[in-house]
Amino acid sequence: MKALRASVVAVLLAVLAMLAHAEDVLYLYIWNTYLSEDTVQRFEVQCRCRLKQDFYSDNEEMLAKLEAGAIGYDLIVPTGNAVETLLRKNALRPLDKSKLPNLKNVKAEFHDPWYDPGMRYAVPYATTVTLLGYNATRLAELGLPTDSWALIFEPRHLEKLKGKVTVLNSQRELMAAAMKYLGYSVQENDPARWDEAKRLILRAKPYWATFSNSTYIKDLAIGNIWVAHGYSSDMFRAQQDAQEAKRPFTIGFRTPKEGAVLAVDSFVLHKSGRRPDLAHQFIQFMLEGANAADVSSLIGAGNPNAAAMPYIPPEIAGNPGIFPPPDDLRRLEMLRDFDPKTRRLLSRMWTEIKVR
Amino acid sequence: MTKWLVSLPPTLFLVVFFLVPALLMVGASFQQPGDFGGLVPAMQDGQFTLSLETYRFFLGDWIYAEIFGRSFLVAAATTLICLLLAYPLALLIARSGQRHRNLLVLLVILPLASNFLIRIYAWIILLGPVDLLYTPFAVIAGMVYVHLPFMVLPLYNNLEQHDPALLEAAQDLGAGTWTRFWRITLPLSLPGIWAGSALVFIPVLGMFAIPELLGGTRDLLIGNLIKEQFLDNRDWPLGSTLSLLLTVAVLALAGLSARAGRLRRGRA
Repeated sequence: MKALRASVVAVLLAVLAMLAHAEDVLYLYIWNTYLSEDTVQRFEVQCRCRLKQDFYSDNEEMLAKLEAGAIGYDLIVPTGNAVETLLRKNALRPLDKSKLPNLKNVKAEFHDPWYDPGMRYAVPYATTVTLLGYNATRLAELGLPTDSWALIFEPRHLEKLKGKVTVLNSQRELMAAAMKYLGYSVQENDPARWDEAKRLILRAKPYWATFSNSTYIKDLAIGNIWVAHGYSSDMFRAQQDAQEAKRPFTIGFRTPKEGAVLAVDSFVLHKSGRRPDLAHQFIQFMLEGANAADVSSLIGAGNPNAAAMPYIPPEIAGNPGIFPPPDDLRRLEMLRDFDPKTRRLLSRMWTEIKVR
Repeated sequence: MTKWLVSLPPTLFLVVFFLVPALLMVGASFQQPGDFGGLVPAMQDGQFTLSLETYRFFLGDWIYAEIFGRSFLVAAATTLICLLLAYPLALLIARSGQRHRNLLVLLVILPLASNFLIRIYAWIILLGPVDLLYTPFAVIAGMVYVHLPFMVLPLYNNLEQHDPALLEAAQDLGAGTWTRFWRITLPLSLPGIWAGSALVFIPVLGMFAIPELLGGTRDLLIGNLIKEQFLDNRDWPLGSTLSLLLTVAVLALAGLSARAGRLRRGRA
C-alpha cells in the first residue's frame, strides 16, 4: 500500500513539475461557486500568474480525496471541523504573517476559533448559517411561524405542509437542528439525548418530501416546496432566482430562535503545495476589502472581513440570515468531529432514520 | 506464446485494478476507523488492532440486512421492467431492414451521449408537476431509463444472429407466431437475456445517485449507505465491509446465472 502510494505520488509530482515549469500556477481546491470569475481575473493580472481551481461540494469529499493521496494543492478552503482534521493529520503549513499585513482586516470575533486560536494556520474567508428557507407568501397565507425549528419538526405545523418540506441529507446537520430544537448542544455526549433527537426526526419524517442537499434551491425557487432546511447562501440564491423569474411569491430565510449551526470557511495552506509564496499573495489579495466583499455580494455568504463591509450592498449586509446580529450569533454553534465510536453510533441512528 | 502475450495486459489490468483494491478492502474491513477518518494501522504500538468488530456491528441488528434486501428487490424489479421493455424493441430492430438497423441502434445509444446527471435532472422536471417526484416510482423509473440501452444492445446483438430459415422451417411445419416465438426465438435468445440482465442488475445494485436525486425519505439503498460511510461518516471499515458483502453477493449471483445459462443451453 505504502509502496503503491509512493509510486503514484512520484508520478503525480513529475507531472506537476513539468506543468509548473511552463508558468507560475497557484492550485486552489475550493467549494463550488465560491470565487467569482471576476475576482480570479483581477488576481491573475496582479500576480502575473495563473490560478487553477478544483472544486468540491462538501468537506468530506475534499478530505476523502486528500486522504486518498491527492497532492499539489497550494490552498484549500475547509470548514472549521475539517481544518481541525487537517491540522491533526499534520497536513497544513503555518502562515507567514509577515506576508499578510491585511490580516488586520479580519473581524475580532473570528481571531480565536477553537480549531486555530490566533489564526496561525487558517484565514477566515466566508461564513454560512444552516437555517430555514421558506416561501414567505405561502407561509403568511397559512399563518405559520418562520422563526422556529418547530416548523419542520412539529406535526401541528407540518400538517399544513405535507410533502412541501425538504431537509438536508446530512446526518450532522439534521441531527444538529433537532438537538437545537430540543435545547441541547450539537456536541452532546449523552446517547439518550441523541436518541430523543432521532425520535423527533422520525415523528416529523412522514410529512417531509425528501432529504435534499442541492435540489432544494430549485424546488424552493419554482414553488415545488415551501420550506427547506439548508445553507444561507443557497437560500440567497433561491431568493434571487425566484425574483429574477418574477414568481408570484418571495423567498425568505432566517435563523431559528433556538439557534443553529454556523460554518466558517477558511483559507489554509496544504503542505504538499509547491507555491506557498503565491498562496500568501492570494490570501493577502483576498483580504483586501473590495475583493473580500465579492463572496457576500455575489453568493450571499457572511463575511468575517471588516474592511469588506463598505463594499457589500446594504440589503445583503443588513440581512440577518446572512450576517447574524450579535444576539443570533451567541446562539450559533460550529460542528466539531466526534470520535469513531460516536460516529458509528450516530451513523447507525441515521441509517434507521433513513429506512423507517 | 502469442496467446500469453495477448492475454497478459488485460490480466494485469484486472489484477492491479480489481484484485488489489478488493484485497485492500478485505483488509480494511478488519481494521479500525481512525480518529479523523482513514484507518488505524494494523499494528500500533506493538498491538495488533485487527478485529471482527465491524462484522459484529453489521450483524448486530437487522437494519443493514433489510437495506440489502430492499436493494436486491429494486435491482430485480428494474431488470425485469428493462427486459419487458427492451425485448420487443430489440426484436423490432433485429427484424427491420438492414438499412434501418444501424440508425435504430444509434437512436438507442444516443441518450448515452449526454451526461447521466443531466438526464436525471430532466426527470426531476418531468416528475415534479405530476407529484411523482421523491417516490419509489421515481427511483425505478430513473433506474429503468438509464439502464435500458444496456438491456437492448445485448438482446439485439443476439437476436440479429438468429437464422431466419429456422422460423421459415417452423412456419412450414405449421407453427403459429406464438409457438415460433416460444419454441425458437426465446430459447435461442437466452444468452442475450442473461447478458443484458447482468449488465442492468449489477450496476443498479450499487447505484446511489438516482435514489439520492429522485428518491423520497425512505429510498435508501445499499449504494447510498456505502457512499455515506466513505464520505459523510468517514468510517472506512464499515464501508469496506458493506462493499465486500455486496461484491460477494454479486459474484455469487453472477456464478448462479452463468450456471443457469449453461444448464439451459445444455437442455436446448
